[in-house]
Amino acid sequence: MTTWEGLLFGIGFVTQPEVLIYCVLGVVLGTFVGVLPGIGAMAAISLLLPITYYVTPEAALIMLAGVYYGAQYGGAVASILLRLPGTPQSAVTTLDGYPMAQSGRAGVALFTAMASSFVGSVIGILVLVMLAGWLSRAATAFGAADYAAMMILGLVAASTIGTARPAKGFAMVTLGLLLGCIGTDVNSGAQRFTFGQTELLDGINLVALAMGLFGVAEVIANVRNPDRQSVAERIGLRRLMPRRDDLRRMAFPMLRGSALGSFFGALPGTGSTLSSFLSYSMERRIARQPERFGKGAVEGVAGPESANNSAAITAFAPTLTLGIPGDPIMALMLGALVIHGIQPGPMMLEARPEMFWGLVASFGIGNLLLLILNLPLIGIWVAMLRIPFNYLYPAILVFLCLGVYSVRGLTFDIVAVAGIGLAGYLLAIAKFSPALLLLGFVLGPLIETNLRRAFLISRGDPMVFLERPIAAGFVVATVVLLLLPLWQAWRRRSAHELQ
Amino acid sequence: MRFIFTRQVALVGAVAITAVPAFGQDSWPTAPVRVFVGFPAGSSPDTLARIVTDELAERLGQPIVIENRPGAGGVIGVQQMLVSAADGHTFGTTINGTLTTAQRMMDSTGFDVAEDIIPVTLIATSPLVLAVSADSDIDDLESFIAAAGVEPEAIAYGSVGQGSGAHLTAELFAAEAGVSMLHVPFTSYAEVTTSILGNEIDAGFMAPSAALPFVEAGTMRMLGITSSEPFAGAPDVPLIAGNAGLPDDFRAELWNAFIAPAGTDAAVIERLNTEIVEIFNDPAIHAQFLAIGWQAAPGSADDLRQRIADDTAMWGGVIDRVQAQ
Repeated sequence: MTTWEGLLFGIGFVTQPEVLIYCVLGVVLGTFVGVLPGIGAMAAISLLLPITYYVTPEAALIMLAGVYYGAQYGGAVASILLRLPGTPQSAVTTLDGYPMAQSGRAGVALFTAMASSFVGSVIGILVLVMLAGWLSRAATAFGAADYAAMMILGLVAASTIGTARPAKGFAMVTLGLLLGCIGTDVNSGAQRFTFGQTELLDGINLVALAMGLFGVAEVIANVRNPDRQSVAERIGLRRLMPRRDDLRRMAFPMLRGSALGSFFGALPGTGSTLSSFLSYSMERRIARQPERFGKGAVEGVAGPESANNSAAITAFAPTLTLGIPGDPIMALMLGALVIHGIQPGPMMLEARPEMFWGLVASFGIGNLLLLILNLPLIGIWVAMLRIPFNYLYPAILVFLCLGVYSVRGLTFDIVAVAGIGLAGYLLAIAKFSPALLLLGFVLGPLIETNLRRAFLISRGDPMVFLERPIAAGFVVATVVLLLLPLWQAWRRRSAHELQ
Repeated sequence: MRFIFTRQVALVGAVAITAVPAFGQDSWPTAPVRVFVGFPAGSSPDTLARIVTDELAERLGQPIVIENRPGAGGVIGVQQMLVSAADGHTFGTTINGTLTTAQRMMDSTGFDVAEDIIPVTLIATSPLVLAVSADSDIDDLESFIAAAGVEPEAIAYGSVGQGSGAHLTAELFAAEAGVSMLHVPFTSYAEVTTSILGNEIDAGFMAPSAALPFVEAGTMRMLGITSSEPFAGAPDVPLIAGNAGLPDDFRAELWNAFIAPAGTDAAVIERLNTEIVEIFNDPAIHAQFLAIGWQAAPGSADDLRQRIADDTAMWGGVIDRVQAQ
């Protein structure tokens, strides 16, 4: 089946009413769980899993996938309006989206997020269709050394974003790395900093950390600061549509973000988070006025939002072509197929073409639905800010606890989110960036595991980082990135001396 | 008025409490039943539990709620079952590691298998297969052992973690074959598979269901299987037992079992065992299990107790050797 035949076949398959209804259901549900702080795609898909017994495997996968990428759209809403990211990816969106909302441009920020999500998804779909085979080869070509080098590059590139003072940025990344050490070490099986708590054996719950640092901290800050009420009143419904100037500013960041996201998304692991952080740091580096970032730059929303959405699409490449899930949510979706007696694997495409092409076509239709659904909702979301804070914030706390509890069903995590929230509030007073803490927390364990695994496999030979072409490329890029500021400083100084 | 009211409530409460054991014997179950699973929804232990409990709910005439409490290799699921226990309507399913090796691998699991857990029945077993990349020069068990014997750690193998079934099985195999291999821990079979396909590591012991799709696609090869009898899900794979100089009684299997918290009424355990064993009289259930890589293996509660004791002793020996290294 050629690409065009496949796509036509897929569109024909998805537009059957009994399939389309599941696509609609998936994306609508995805949007709503994305908006609710803490309740993510993982919880929603777990809840939907028993229902998938009763529908065809194709319809089940289309529905669950709809929840997965639909949640990426919804995730931006709470990040922009309330500084409540449900996932590390949308934590990046708070950096400029929330300042935009605070200065009365909430509608524009939401429009930017929705449009960028759509563009990112469309580009992701095109890449998936044209390069699925190549992307899945990339997934197996990446070894431990390559992952370690890639993530170190990501950490170095992104470790100064979201803060005016690099030292504070590094401090937060380091704190994140340290918190990431908590739990069972994959390589030795040793239990680190668990204090005999079984609940800590798999580390701190990521959702509890994100919700505490952002959500609870934000709620405390608003209780402490009664002036915020007037800020809320100032945020009007005045303008929802972006100006020409905004559109011009967001176009290229969207394209660059989509390209980054499409590539990193296909790598099993943490491609989506890495690509949204990388996209943000890239936009800030190439911007003519980098000082605008963190104060409501449209580019800081457009880039990361398109990156995480295209990554959410290309993440299906290894999942569908190799049967290798890239993250726990993908594994859950494959679990839904296993219930139907379909063993995901490299032969699934040949055995069930309707699975691949139906799913790809459903991505297109689902994203179109999401755009149509979300653009009119922008007005309603913005109006949500008019709810008096004394009603809004208790409700947020309830949803947040529900969300945290839904991950593992442990009350321990609810206590943890309260403690982390208090710490997050103190960090916010001292103007430390919680987004960087989250980045360190997510990447730290992956860097450590892959670095040590690379040394284990190479029997201790560090040359593995230079002998493998992929790893060597990332190492060179990291060195360049570290030396660049030094070189710029040196050039400035010589220019001074010449005068 | 308020004082009298509280006294009345207390009285009603006391009567209700004394009535509970009577209910337990006569018309159990009287309420929805909860089954704790220490793995996330959609995982293979979860799927096994759902297949069984769907049938069980019909037989018991009460709904069964699966409570997924993933974490710490299944230990959190058992802990949570014990926390919520004592109402006679709380049970769990678990994999072998939680009841046999976790006590050795962790500082504290928070429970004692012999004291806190009542075995109900084994549900299913799964062997592991030794798989290599199809690009590899190694094409049978003998050439694998020869390659591993060239020098210590000549072969690097992947597992799903320190102390996992895959890790301990490989170490048992290495000890019996008289070789030493390099252990590279991963966190999932998906990662192990990716690493084998990328020719980064040489081999891995893995669930047949994880390897079979790649064998069919011609990218992986299975050299041997750890069960004592040919496995219906992969009948062509030679047994490791009695092959290439390995002992005839070589056997390493993962299993999944239905358990109850200590204090559960003996009559309830009896009833559960009977119902679950009867569920497996239906060949369709066997087929469903086989489709996801598991061999149905119901038995008596005593069989399960014996299996826990045997495996704890066997894997304990392997852990001693690994920790001594």
